[in-house]
Amino acid sequence: MTEPRSLSSASLVGLVAKREISARIRDKNFIISSVVILLLLLGSLALQVALDSGTEESRIGLVGDVPGLEQALQTQGEALEVDVSVVDLSDEVAATAAIEAEDVDSALVVRDGEYELLVQESASGSLEAIVQGAVTQLSVAEQLAEAGISDLDVPEVPVTALDPDADQDSQRVVAAIIGAGLLYGLLILFGQFIAQGVVEEKSSRVVELLLATMKPWQLLAGKILGLGVLGLAQIVVIAVVGVAGAIAFDVVDIPGDLIGTAVSVVLWFVLAYAFYAAIFAVAASLVSRQEDLGTVLMPTTLVLVAAFVVGIQASANPDGTLARVTSLVPGLSPLVMPVRQAAGEVAAWEVALAVVLMLAAIALIVRLGGRIYAGALLRTGGKLKMREALAAERA
Amino acid sequence: MLEFDGLHKSFGDNRVLDGVTFSVTPGSMFGFCGSNGAGKTTSMRIAMGLVRPDAGEVRWRGRPLDQAVRRRIGYMPEERGLYPKMKVGEQVAYFARLHGLGSAAAAKAADEWVERLGLSARRGDAVEKLSLGNQQRVQLAAALVSRPEVLILDEPFSGLDPIGVDSLAEALLGQAREGVPVVFSSHQLDLVERLCDSVGILARGRMVATGTVDELRHRETGRLLRVVVPEAAPRWADGLPGVRVVSERAGDTVLELADDADDQAVLAAALRTGRVSHFGWQQPTLVELFRGAVAAPTAEEVAA
Repeated sequence: MTEPRSLSSASLVGLVAKREISARIRDKNFIISSVVILLLLLGSLALQVALDSGTEESRIGLVGDVPGLEQALQTQGEALEVDVSVVDLSDEVAATAAIEAEDVDSALVVRDGEYELLVQESASGSLEAIVQGAVTQLSVAEQLAEAGISDLDVPEVPVTALDPDADQDSQRVVAAIIGAGLLYGLLILFGQFIAQGVVEEKSSRVVELLLATMKPWQLLAGKILGLGVLGLAQIVVIAVVGVAGAIAFDVVDIPGDLIGTAVSVVLWFVLAYAFYAAIFAVAASLVSRQEDLGTVLMPTTLVLVAAFVVGIQASANPDGTLARVTSLVPGLSPLVMPVRQAAGEVAAWEVALAVVLMLAAIALIVRLGGRIYAGALLRTGGKLKMREALAAERA
Repeated sequence: MLEFDGLHKSFGDNRVLDGVTFSVTPGSMFGFCGSNGAGKTTSMRIAMGLVRPDAGEVRWRGRPLDQAVRRRIGYMPEERGLYPKMKVGEQVAYFARLHGLGSAAAAKAADEWVERLGLSARRGDAVEKLSLGNQQRVQLAAALVSRPEVLILDEPFSGLDPIGVDSLAEALLGQAREGVPVVFSSHQLDLVERLCDSVGILARGRMVATGTVDELRHRETGRLLRVVVPEAAPRWADGLPGVRVVSERAGDTVLELADDADDQAVLAAALRTGRVSHFGWQQPTLVELFRGAVAAPTAEEVAA
């Protein structure tokens, strides 16, 4: 057996972080929440694909040779956003068989200028409209030709878009809102994990044994770091799957912008996580039972909810005073700034200022919160006031 | 030498420790006794760096304890603490690592201790699934796994059944034999008397008595003589020079002799009453010593 050696702060923090990770990845709640988030993401992508590629398909069998009918059917289909494919069939018997075998959805039988549409059960509105439209078009053209009228002059209507980028803008905003929602969800989730972990150590009194080997800040740092690595891994996986999925399914027109938004959400997650994890841990250290956790976490949770709401608001009005101010306020900025960045123009100095303010706030919280945490850890029973915890730390 | 030197501590107006001083030599066991709230736990927590003393320090080999030295101390807190959902083997290995063992060494040491304490079958179970007695064993394994140079155990025997007490006592004696100074607190004074080389009795934040049990017997009580004379008339010992009757019931008499009193004169007087079925110096139990020490403020305390 090797002799025990002295441990550096870094290796202690690393040990704590590793324990947090290995304890958490075996935790059912964590696994379930991760799977649910990924499924939600994939589900919403699939939904998007379904809605987007909303072009119906219709296979129409054609019995009888009418010049121009096939083309007329396809033109009508285009107008009604239905993908029409026409299959030539020899006779009515073949048509019936094809419908029953579901080779075609319907069959148009032309016999001596009489038209009949065969379907399995009933013809959908669009199918009827396509067939009726095509037949009408053909017969009108035919009758006009018979009347000696040809070369009709039909004026074309040109389309002018007032805001050609609006579609792309809205895609970016949607991505940013999804990102903010994701941030909000993950922050609440990992905040809860941290808080539960702190209370578990307090209520099981294992903290006394831990503090006999390390300083409170090392324990706090290890916990935040360990869960932070997991949280970061989760949001990166989500971002990669989301972006890759969106690009692969062709949901977005501008992959570059989407990637940019995703990267900015991930970076803001790092800052927001450090901020909220520290607050949640310190708040949790004030109580000794899981049951009391709700009350101490409530104020911070409300701040997060407010940040999320303001973030959504910012997508509609990215340059309003509310959005501009809140995108700089530490704690709110991570959920507002990425939305503003996606929805409108944000000066570089604004982003820089928001980051600096956030870093300063994190430093302050870790410093002050670390002292509250240290003072509160060994005080069990009841709920502690912050002032009492600070006093205990000095004692 | 493990030295507790002049520890003072107040929580607000409540003076918990008022100059606690004692030392434990390597390889010896020190029993720490005192009523509830006497300051035992606070003293131990100061040693472990969990409470900051107002004055005084704890030294090991002449060096004040710091985090590096504390990592070489095995500690069992009064409030038992383990991660309830963590597996036994992993938990013990984790504490070994926190005490500075490398990853492979920690796993090996954890296996050894889990086996030594009879927990091999439960190695893969979460701690919360174990009985209290077995949880206590895991706690001990966590304290011993890093081969500590010093053991500080707060009420290690509380909550154990007699067999558990014996196996824990065996483990601690084994540690002491290997040269580890062991400090433990306990309310089970018979156990302290049986196991400990020296004893400290703490009352109202002060050490009111320290030393070996024998030393305490001589220092803390006068000389008590028990004489059983079944046929004697009541008050047979009254009037013997230098002798005070402490108690007398049907000839079973306890006498306190002044330093210059002659025990042979007492024996002669007893023989005059008839048959003497018992004559011997009374060995006060630690319980009696404890009651005496804790009950009355010492002269020093009164002066202070």
